[in-house]
Amino acid sequence: MAMLTNRRKEVAVAMTLVAPFVLTFALVFLYPTIRMVELSFTNSPLIGPGEWVGLDNFRRLLTDNLFYTSLKNNGYFVLLTVVPTTVLALCIALLITRLKGPLQAFALSIFFLPYILPVSVVTQIWLWMLDFQFGVLQSVFTMFTGKPVPVFKNPYWVMPTVAAVTIWWTNGFNVLLFIAGLRNIPRDYYEAAALDGATKKQQFTRVTWPLLWPVTALILTLQLILQLKIFDQIYLLSSGGPFNSSYVLLLMVYREAFQLNHGGYASAIALILFVVIVILSVLQFQLLRMGRRR
Amino acid sequence: MTYFKTFLAAGLISLAGLPAFAQQNITWWDFLSGGDGVRMKALIGRFNQEHPDIKVNATTLEWGVPFYTKVRTSVAVGQGPDVMTYHLSRMPLGLKEGVLDEITQADLDQAGLSKDDFFPAAAAAASGDDGKLYAVPFDIHSIVLYYNKSYLEGSRFLDGDGKLTGINNLADFEEALALAKEKGSTAPVSYSTADDGGIYRVFYTLLAQQGGELITGEEVLAGDNLQKAAKAIEIMTKWSENGWQPEQTEYEASVALFTSGKAAFHLNGVWEVPTMVDTEKKGALGFEWGAVQVPNLLGTEATWADSHSFAIPKGTTMSPEKRAAVMTVIGWMEKNALSWADAGHIPAYKPVAESEEFKKMEPNATYSSLADSAAYDPRSPIAGVASPVYDASINIISPAIHGYMDPMQAAEQVKSELQSRLH
Amino acid sequence: MKKFRTIENWVLTVGTLFAAALWIFPLYWAFITSIRSEERVVSDAAGIVPDEFNPISYFEVIWNTRLLNWYFNSIGTAVIITLVVIVSGMMCAYAISQMRFPGRRLLYGIVLASFMVPSQALVVTQFILMNDLGLINTWAGIILPQLIVPVVIIVYKQFFDAVPKEMREAVVLDGGGDYTLLFKIYLPLNWGITTALAIITFIMAWNQFLWPFLVVTTEDRMTIPVGITQVNDAFGVYYARLMSVALLGAMPVAIAYLIFQKKVTEAVMISSGVKG
Repeated sequence: MAMLTNRRKEVAVAMTLVAPFVLTFALVFLYPTIRMVELSFTNSPLIGPGEWVGLDNFRRLLTDNLFYTSLKNNGYFVLLTVVPTTVLALCIALLITRLKGPLQAFALSIFFLPYILPVSVVTQIWLWMLDFQFGVLQSVFTMFTGKPVPVFKNPYWVMPTVAAVTIWWTNGFNVLLFIAGLRNIPRDYYEAAALDGATKKQQFTRVTWPLLWPVTALILTLQLILQLKIFDQIYLLSSGGPFNSSYVLLLMVYREAFQLNHGGYASAIALILFVVIVILSVLQFQLLRMGRRR
Repeated sequence: MTYFKTFLAAGLISLAGLPAFAQQNITWWDFLSGGDGVRMKALIGRFNQEHPDIKVNATTLEWGVPFYTKVRTSVAVGQGPDVMTYHLSRMPLGLKEGVLDEITQADLDQAGLSKDDFFPAAAAAASGDDGKLYAVPFDIHSIVLYYNKSYLEGSRFLDGDGKLTGINNLADFEEALALAKEKGSTAPVSYSTADDGGIYRVFYTLLAQQGGELITGEEVLAGDNLQKAAKAIEIMTKWSENGWQPEQTEYEASVALFTSGKAAFHLNGVWEVPTMVDTEKKGALGFEWGAVQVPNLLGTEATWADSHSFAIPKGTTMSPEKRAAVMTVIGWMEKNALSWADAGHIPAYKPVAESEEFKKMEPNATYSSLADSAAYDPRSPIAGVASPVYDASINIISPAIHGYMDPMQAAEQVKSELQSRLH
Repeated sequence: MKKFRTIENWVLTVGTLFAAALWIFPLYWAFITSIRSEERVVSDAAGIVPDEFNPISYFEVIWNTRLLNWYFNSIGTAVIITLVVIVSGMMCAYAISQMRFPGRRLLYGIVLASFMVPSQALVVTQFILMNDLGLINTWAGIILPQLIVPVVIIVYKQFFDAVPKEMREAVVLDGGGDYTLLFKIYLPLNWGITTALAIITFIMAWNQFLWPFLVVTTEDRMTIPVGITQVNDAFGVYYARLMSVALLGAMPVAIAYLIFQKKVTEAVMISSGVKG
């Protein structure tokens, strides 16, 4: 009997402990998710009731050129950021770990600093650096291409440039993870490898890389999820232009919902984005786990 | 005891009197933040000083699509301002979106205004198809041609007084551009070629100067208007090809090209007049400048024009007292529009626009005649600031003038794109 | 061989520092721009060497914008978010780690899953919800959707799992309940991780753009990241002012980072589970 009351009491206490999180979760996460599914089958405006239209929104989506452009750009952006930032971060981390003492802390702080800047600070600075008329970097472009390049107004340059700015902004985070990963590798592994006569290159491929794989996998997963959700930088740097060549799904959601007042259609797009991200991240997670086992 | 009673009574009276002293807080939104924004802030400051019972809390939002998106969303959620600035070119679109509240006769009386106080074109633009007023016009503004005298000195384009002269057609203007380029101007005529507004204003001016119409009845670019639109795009393309106009230039950069002395001419709104005046006053301009009405280049005297107005968003639950305060603000602004004219604009309120003080103002006097040649946007829900017409400018005309598309092809795309939005 | 090593070391060190200099250049350039006069900024004479100290744009920006308001909103909301996220996350993690109750596994499954779910995809319906609750343009409206940070629960749970069971007994014998256990034993044992998670949550909240951008329409309720985009207005020449406001906006957290550098570095490592 006493056991039973104890058990009951434990459940009651547990409930009070999880309640704050569970209630907030239900309110701002679960409920909006359900509403999103529901709205995607209606023609509602942003605010106010709408009518049930079945699959119309999704049918329309399949004929909407902007949707395909956006989907393609989301994929393109992932290609442009995820692996490049991981490779770059690894290189920088390897360089920094070679440094000693205060010099190391100093270099690390420089590479990490951009990460703590608000996104609009980052975009303001880069818009100015890359300004077509007065940007300081235009002299670099002139050196290579012979003339200044209006990077955010050129359909070929816009996505790579947004990607480069994004990498500058967020790379420090990945550098830090790699450094932590490198520090976790026991020194004697290298000493053992050196005794066996392994070259620097062999030390990297036989010791560093395999032991660093969990961190690499983590970074790849985090980056994939993060970069699929791209909105801020695109909105602030190019607004999806020129001629929609940098449109992405979240920007489309924003435009439909908040500029054109199409709550239902926007929800349909958001739902697709939601599903895409969930599927991809689960897939990647599994793939990386398999990779690790091997 | 009687003292106490008197004391109490006095207290009660002062309590009862309180509402009369209670300040009305007015939330005001505008999109004016550059040269003319400074003037507007000063005006609001003066108003607040003169009216201890009303306090205007002004917020300046980003011009164009961001502003009108914010307005639309805020009105939808009942969080709109009490009063806002609004472009009259956008009136039909605003009415279609249902974001504008009617300005009643009682409102006008409160402000001490009447519909007849305004230029008829402005008053008509501020009214709905039902004849009711949905905004109070504040000004008429257009683009003008700014010029840097240093590039024209010694040429036939400056008269004895140092004023621009001798530009009577496109050939004259292009001759002046070529001359400026020869004299080292890196952007003989600057305007914002990477910005919807900048492109649209020049395009529409060139179209109107050929007597062209963007929308005729229910048809976009009907008949030979298509050719005229193509011609306008062709001219802009040619300026680009010859290195006369800067490529892909953002708004700020287009102004900076002129103020830094790199551009000989600058096609931009009158609202940049304060920027020139202020920079010159600081001694930082480094050259003498002037501004004239855009010369007649293509046969018809016409210049793109629009109006700022004041509007009250729909769905606000304002108390009658607050609404009265809002109208007081609007009335005061109209009567003090001379300070607004200082920002380059032409007041829409006739008593000010026809006053001796205004007629003496420079450089306004040099272009105030444009009130007659003003080419307003077509009255249509696809036209106006942050409308499909502006989208087409950035998405279709801009690529064309930068060589991604042929002018005729672009004109046809503008036609089909806008036609599809009309229905 | 030894000599070769030293030379190689030197080359790599110099190379690293050169890369670092390139990396910091945007911030350097923003600063140089911000202390020039607007006219000089766009003149051909403006080189990459500092040649003028003219802080006028800083004064203009502070004077003419609601920067102080935005600081207040940003710091205020970020602090509240951090507190709520940490406390509620800690409580939830404790229950999942140390107690038995129906739905425990399901709850942890949801937490793990929501780690992968994009809250950005929910902005439309979250906006509708905040409107229904009348929270548009309020701190509560900014804060609520940012309160779900599953990482905090995941990390706390791992650390609570590792606390030796013997530590519980003294408290349990004294008749102390789970709340006592949590706040007297588990929290003090994990102060390090708590600071780390708090730092991470704070930086995340401080840098949030999309949501505050949607839910706030009035200038005096804006946060720093949203507010400084408002200075980006359509008319006038003002590159120096833009850079001033950008740098001012970044200042508080940048300074805090430079002071507590080590803590922040550790926080990122711990909270991503790379360093335990």
